[in-house]
Amino acid sequence: MKTRNNCRDWRELLGVYALGQLEGDERAGLEAHLDGCAQCREELALLEPVARMLPHADPERFESAAPQPPPELGARIAATIAGERRQREQRRRRRLFGGFALGGATAALAAAVLAIFVLGGGGSGEPERHVTFAAQGVSIDATLEPHAYGTEIRMYVHGVASGTLCTVSLRGPGGASYPAGTFRYRWGDDSEAVLSSALDLSRTRAVVVQAGKRTFVAPLGSAPATAITRTQEEPT
Amino acid sequence: MIQIGTSTRGALSRERDVREAYAAHSGELYGFAVRSLGDAGLAEEAVQETFVRAWRAGERYDPKIGSLRTWLFAILRNVVIDLGRARAVRPGVAEGGIEPSVEPLEEALLSWQVEEAMRRIGDDHRRVIVETYYKGRPYAEVAEELGVPEGTIKSRVYYGLRALRVVLEEMGYED
Repeated sequence: MKTRNNCRDWRELLGVYALGQLEGDERAGLEAHLDGCAQCREELALLEPVARMLPHADPERFESAAPQPPPELGARIAATIAGERRQREQRRRRRLFGGFALGGATAALAAAVLAIFVLGGGGSGEPERHVTFAAQGVSIDATLEPHAYGTEIRMYVHGVASGTLCTVSLRGPGGASYPAGTFRYRWGDDSEAVLSSALDLSRTRAVVVQAGKRTFVAPLGSAPATAITRTQEEPT
Repeated sequence: MIQIGTSTRGALSRERDVREAYAAHSGELYGFAVRSLGDAGLAEEAVQETFVRAWRAGERYDPKIGSLRTWLFAILRNVVIDLGRARAVRPGVAEGGIEPSVEPLEEALLSWQVEEAMRRIGDDHRRVIVETYYKGRPYAEVAEELGVPEGTIKSRVYYGLRALRVVLEEMGYED
């Protein structure tokens, strides 16, 4: 048997001891050492609970590779969540804009309705922002999400003629305009247009939507918001 | 008419956060789901349901209270319990040749943790623990087979248990 002179030599036997497999002189020697060594007793106290857990494991299981989820599972979950989010947003829109869809009379009553929800917060950086806007029978609903490249805009427009070309931009400080793209509104289509602009969300002051000949400006900001609607002449 | 509403949301309310959480934790969650449900199809269902529930409740997740991993495992445990109940009233599964897992959930979680920890320690450490502890082989025999002194085998058992403890602690184990 190897001569054990120092703590480290004894300590290296603690594993076998904790498993209850140390025998004879080594066991007697280690126990004598433990009596006089608080450090090794502490070390043993760390190993014993681990040793007690070992019987719960089945070596056949851990010696084979861990099962992996199928590669398409992530995409399936993302699709499920995206579907649920769309449904949720559609329900919210129906609550908000149900009245406007009825026609011109209701629309005329409402000069402008603007609602801004700050949805973000918590510890994950800049919050996503939500802008809903309705004027002259047209309702616009946009979710703005910050990205490293700028801002992603998911937009839904209701109340313009089917086929209307919509041009979206974000307005920065000082009125500078950052294009976000174009889309066409189609009747019966409840899907959102996904657009992106290079302007950081933190610098975005307003969302500007030109729908046909009309331009809608929905300002963002924590200050009481006012909606400005600029109406150019409608084509006849 | 102007409405301004404010609410705060936690770290999982955005779809991008869910994608990141999936990339970081889906392997472990799936491993535990397979271990506790004993069926790959049900395990997929459980992991999907876990992330959907996490997203729905995203605003309730508070990183100050616990890690995202711990929170996801807590959700998965509930999902596994729900699926186990659903399966109990769905006799077709058992008749189809798959034995329903009767292992209590806590036992399954403990087993999965130790097995997962064993996978993560070094090959040399795992090998000596398997040969001496699980297979009950004499230390001298294992030493000869591996071509190292018996003392080395014994010290590897020590460092192996040390490593296991570190991995278990990383996985949330506390005394």
